Amino acid sequence: MRVIVLMGRVLDPRGIVVNRRRGRIFVNVEEYIIQPADRCALEVALRVKDATGAEVVALPRGPLPDDDVLRQALATGADRAIYLTADKPYDDGAWTKVLVAAVERLGGADLILTGATTLDTGQGQLGPRLAEALGWPQVVDAWSAEVADGKVRAVLHRGGEYVAVEANLPAVVTVQPGAVKPRYPDGVRLINVYRGVGEVAEALETWPVADLVEVESLKPLLERRGQDFPPERERSVRLTGTVEEMARAAADALRERL
Amino acid sequence: MDASFLDLLMAQQEEVAEAEGGGGGIWVVADVVDGQVAPVTLEAIGAARTLADALGAYVYGVLLGDGVTDLAQPLYQAGADGVRVADHPSLASFGVEPYLKVLADLFEAEKPEVVMFGATPQGEELAPRLAQRMGGGLIEHVTAVTLDEATRTVQASVPIYGGEFFEILACPEARPQFLTIEPGAFPEPFMDPHRKGEPKTLEVEPVEPAVRVVGPAEGFEPPVVPLSQAPVIVAAGRQAGDFELVKRLAEALGAQVAGDRGARDAGWIGPDRIVDVRGVTVAPKVYIAVGIRGDTFHNAAIEGAGFILAIHPDADAPIFQVADLCIEGDPKEVVPALLEVLS
Repeated sequence: MRVIVLMGRVLDPRGIVVNRRRGRIFVNVEEYIIQPADRCALEVALRVKDATGAEVVALPRGPLPDDDVLRQALATGADRAIYLTADKPYDDGAWTKVLVAAVERLGGADLILTGATTLDTGQGQLGPRLAEALGWPQVVDAWSAEVADGKVRAVLHRGGEYVAVEANLPAVVTVQPGAVKPRYPDGVRLINVYRGVGEVAEALETWPVADLVEVESLKPLLERRGQDFPPERERSVRLTGTVEEMARAAADALRERL
Repeated sequence: MDASFLDLLMAQQEEVAEAEGGGGGIWVVADVVDGQVAPVTLEAIGAARTLADALGAYVYGVLLGDGVTDLAQPLYQAGADGVRVADHPSLASFGVEPYLKVLADLFEAEKPEVVMFGATPQGEELAPRLAQRMGGGLIEHVTAVTLDEATRTVQASVPIYGGEFFEILACPEARPQFLTIEPGAFPEPFMDPHRKGEPKTLEVEPVEPAVRVVGPAEGFEPPVVPLSQAPVIVAAGRQAGDFELVKRLAEALGAQVAGDRGARDAGWIGPDRIVDVRGVTVAPKVYIAVGIRGDTFHNAAIEGAGFILAIHPDADAPIFQVADLCIEGDPKEVVPALLEVLS
């Protein structure tokens, strides 16, 4: 059985400061972390591996400028990682085509796992798009997933309660950020994968996107048209009036934000 | 002139007529929750109405479910020019494949310009699949829209890092343009009681969903959210008076309970619940400080909070300098009043 995990990276929000008045973003510490939801997806994949002995293959969820994310995945326990080198930034629509070709070249898969949303843009379309392109069932926003008897069983949060669902394999499952506690990378594997020593370093392959699909056919569907900033925060607004009036005003403000 | 005559006159004018032949238009796929149209759908129709008026296009609503034909009228009232209803027992509960079949057939025939969904579990599953099937672009969690009229392109704002700033995205070439609308981001539309129309019924071919609901998740323990990642926190301080009230407030808001060092001294909270740079640094969406004076260490630990409500009897308490909204009063009086308004 083969489990594919799609992983991406994101600029650590702790290192950036947004100045709303000047409409600028200051990157104080440019440090990239693995998308939190993708880390959870990797953990779910590794649990499937622990239970069934499946092969876990890590692929990028979008164009990556370096292969750090995939090395991290290998150090954490993935069996194979494939770095798809692209020279242009592709969006989820175009990248779906690349992934379909990569899955085909890998010889298919039984389960594809990825994060349900990205930390920065909050977009969660990659999983369902891939499910549509491959014609597989999709389970979106899963809190847990396990594989048994050719089926994937997952837990979703629907209508205020947790429900169990199941689908036949192959399937695409997207995992909620914070759904599981991801394990840490293994220290020795981490050193070896960066030094290029041993099996774990050989498990990292590089496939140029141009070998998989015609690059001319990859057209980004979306384009950026600028940035917008919320109004500056007004601090220390004092409520006045009777206790009931103040409570009502505070409750309105809370309702707006919850 | 009495008002009933005016009503009649308006009613005559507002009988909604649909263009024949279809083509183009802005389509809103409705979310139905507990037999009612979800508020996000009406908000989306309001937004669609504004766009459609600028484009010279029609707004259509799509209703899917079992026994939903009666729900068409709210869609008309919110601003839809036409409503399509797929009313079939096989659509009673949401399933990706049955819903997708109906919508894909409909949109293949109608060639919409813009398709909107609510950013709800249903919309998040359907929108990307339809976008992939029809070759359209999808922008998720939209909080504001403008129009590039020259190319008839919708420019949509998307919150980045949960709303620190917004990125404006557009789908310049691919059509249809798919959007999912963030609940609560757009104003509720004016519900015009005189707008009404006759919905058209769609043929439904039953399709088996690929994902089966087995039942309630037995034995599943939802992950414990650590205090540092909790979205809503109610924290008590020395002046909170009654800790039971604080706990009830937290329960009413679905929040986690915490406190400052004073609350720890009073024995109300454990050592892992102290909000302080020496304890837990938090970054919730909403932070409510009940009776916390707010020393430097505490205030530094809540810098990341999106919105801070402070309740304290002392007008000079430092917490009021960092709070967004300040209530100067005794928590023992304010919190019960707040609980009453919230319930």
